[in-house]
Amino acid sequence: MSTSAKIKRLDQRPMKDAIMSKNKFRFLGLTLDDFIKYFFQGNALIAIVVLALITISLFSSGIWFIPQNYQNLVIYRQAGLEYVDYLRQEIDDHTALTRYLSNLRLQQMQLLLKEGKTPEEAQAALTPLDTFITAYSDAATPLNDMLSEQTDIAAAIKDKHNSQQEELHGKEMLLKAGKTEEAAALQVEPVDFKTAVHPLLDMRDTYIETNGIFAETLSNLVFHPPKMVSRSLQPKMDRFRDLSRTYLIELPKYEDQIMNWDQFKPIPKYKALTSFLFGRQWLTASFWQDWYGIIPLLVGSLTVSFVALVIAIPFGVGAAIYINQIASPTEQNLIKPYIEFISAIPSVVLGFFGIAVLGQSMRWLSQQEWLAWVPGFPINERLNIFTAGALLALMAVPTIFTLTEDAINNVPRAFKEASYALGATRLQTILKIMIPASLSGIISAVLLGLGRVVGETMVVLLCAGGRIEIPDFMQGLGAFFQPVHTMTGIIAQEMGEVVQGSIHFHALFMVGIILFLLSLVINYLAQQVVHKYKISIG
Amino acid sequence: MNEHAPAVKPHHTVNYMSESQASESARPSETMAIEPEHHKRARTLIDIEHVDFFYGKSHALHDINLKIKEKLVTAFIGPSGCGKSTLLRCLNRMNDLIDGTRVANGAIKIHGVDIYDPAVDVIELRKRVGMVFQKSNPFPKSIYENIVYGLRLQGINNKSRLDEVVERSLRGAALWEEVRDRLHDSALGLSGGQQQRLCIARAIAVEPEIILMDEPCSALDPIATAKVEELIHELKKDYTIVIVTHNMQQAGRCSDMTAFFYLGKLIEFDATEKIFTNPSQKQTEDYITGRFG
Ligand SMILES: Nc1ncnc2c1ncn2[C@@H]1O[C@H](COP(=O)(O)OP(=O)(O)O)[C@@H](O)[C@H]1O
Ligand SMILES: [Mg+2]
Repeated sequence: MSTSAKIKRLDQRPMKDAIMSKNKFRFLGLTLDDFIKYFFQGNALIAIVVLALITISLFSSGIWFIPQNYQNLVIYRQAGLEYVDYLRQEIDDHTALTRYLSNLRLQQMQLLLKEGKTPEEAQAALTPLDTFITAYSDAATPLNDMLSEQTDIAAAIKDKHNSQQEELHGKEMLLKAGKTEEAAALQVEPVDFKTAVHPLLDMRDTYIETNGIFAETLSNLVFHPPKMVSRSLQPKMDRFRDLSRTYLIELPKYEDQIMNWDQFKPIPKYKALTSFLFGRQWLTASFWQDWYGIIPLLVGSLTVSFVALVIAIPFGVGAAIYINQIASPTEQNLIKPYIEFISAIPSVVLGFFGIAVLGQSMRWLSQQEWLAWVPGFPINERLNIFTAGALLALMAVPTIFTLTEDAINNVPRAFKEASYALGATRLQTILKIMIPASLSGIISAVLLGLGRVVGETMVVLLCAGGRIEIPDFMQGLGAFFQPVHTMTGIIAQEMGEVVQGSIHFHALFMVGIILFLLSLVINYLAQQVVHKYKISIG
Repeated sequence: MNEHAPAVKPHHTVNYMSESQASESARPSETMAIEPEHHKRARTLIDIEHVDFFYGKSHALHDINLKIKEKLVTAFIGPSGCGKSTLLRCLNRMNDLIDGTRVANGAIKIHGVDIYDPAVDVIELRKRVGMVFQKSNPFPKSIYENIVYGLRLQGINNKSRLDEVVERSLRGAALWEEVRDRLHDSALGLSGGQQQRLCIARAIAVEPEIILMDEPCSALDPIATAKVEELIHELKKDYTIVIVTHNMQQAGRCSDMTAFFYLGKLIEFDATEKIFTNPSQKQTEDYITGRFG
């Protein structure tokens, strides 16, 4: 290939000049390279600063919740609400037993009608039971009267305290505005809790008396419970008797609580946080007492996400394996953009679909006779964990699919060829080589899908049912057909309505913090998985 | 692993193509497979008859006729992109994995059976025709698990049986002494040469009849290469070996028969000695003496 022709370069300068001619262009003492470098450094810096600002604002707002909640708990005790709630608990437990009886009566009624009795006959057969139920329920009437009286008193104390707080606030504003005289004119008298609760405490003697009668009435009743008309329901009645006896045995506990209540017993500081983290009630804008417990919302978010993943993993991973390993190029070109398109659907549209189509048809399906064996069927609420989870699955599938496909693509082709060359079938190659080798990628794909699902708001707001309650897991799989509310949903729903700076406002920020931390952990795990288990098979 | 070799140009631009066409009639046979002069006594195991092969529209192999003899080492040589790998991968139907490939004409027979017959079970074929790749490709598993992979695929999980196969295969691949103490360590911790011998051990663990090797030493240093060559010499006793190589000396050292390819055509096939000392085609001579390629 040698040639003696003179080499013709574009640049005719001698080498010495050529290599010494580094671009001297400078602006403000910076070269073009420097500009590019600083530009991107600046961008990265801005991203970090923004993230830090978000975190700081979240925490700086959320943190106020803790002292406010502590105050909330203190007032709950000092204004006597706690005291009244002991009695309420006693009555509620009794009401639960009554409800059990009513349920039993309903079952008995249905059974009789099924056996061919006329409604009149059935009614007649149930008379002894009805009398019993009425007597059982009425036993609590004196206690109930006492409770409503006490409730009024305690609520009044709390109201008074609240308005006094507002007046104080107003006075402060006046002082700030420099209107000293007007401020001085405003006489704010702090509520004296100690004397205020006296009427409540004075009722204790009557309470002990009433409670004694209540206990006696109940034990008399429970001693002779009516026999059920149908033998098959008798065990349930026996169970009622046992439950009732336990209740009676535990009655002194309520008494003790009421008698030994200490209005000024200090509340441990950590309660302000733990009552949020482990609180099982999220109850706001109530005339009685607000509770900010995140558990029902957290459980709601987690169950919905769980359902979403259970549905999305097989579809997303399966589709990725199919597309990558099995599908023909035509199929690939058809399916891939289609799946990726799903992520372009606005979530509010998915929400419509969930309400109008999915929820509706699920309920219709659940009412079909031949599906009665499915746990939880027939479902009462068309908007429930499952509806929201199924839709969220739809949103997670593209993420899981795309990332899983990337992971499979990253498995060196040589592994696959080696496997085939040893006489492996396609299925064997997929199961023994492709999936294990891309497992870390698949796991992180699933985790990122989870991150997407946990953070999603619109769909859960529209389709999860919006009931702030922990699902009843005693129902097994049926629990997944109950409505819930979620962390994202509650923030979206309530943030617009709360008073800025109120405890409720700050509680929502706390929910935001938990959500933020949850996403952070999920993302961190996803990254760890990718780093740690790059490629390795069992 | 597409090798888009720039060597393939429209025929008329390559100068000596005219000679090649002129000499075509002089070639031993247009229709019959080229018969080597030596080793005539050996039995034909693989019979390649008039094979044309396409990657989609691109015509990669032209009318290949070749008889590969049992228990001999047959080397495929030729410049990059001439179709050596393609032909090799036809022999265990690895090309099936690439979309749009097809054997358009002719037949490849092993023990007289056309392996492209629809009735052929490709999985069984690949168990009988093992393969070692250019770049060593052990699975990211332990040494032990690499070797027993093929057996586990067949449902063999008996520990003592597997242990036995592992030892035999590793001895067969001259690797046993080096790795016997770390069978359960990752195969990726082995050196390049050891990895390649592990791949050979993995291939012989399923007891094939034929072993295909596609430039097995191209990524190895001279010492590792020597070891693999030595191994090929040993394996020859039990297996029929087809090896693609870029290295003339290697072909000379370890093969009995040599086939020279150029631009998707088989130019000459003969005993290695003959090819290297007295080739009958000018193109072969040019290539061997290093005048091109
Ligand atoms: N997967 C493929 N798809 C399309 N063309 C290919 C593919 N693999 C090889 N080829 C082409 O087939 C011809 C022969 O390639 P190959 O058999 O790899 O050559 P060699 O192994 O002799 O270097 C080359 O022109 C190459 O570009
Ligand atoms: Mg090749």
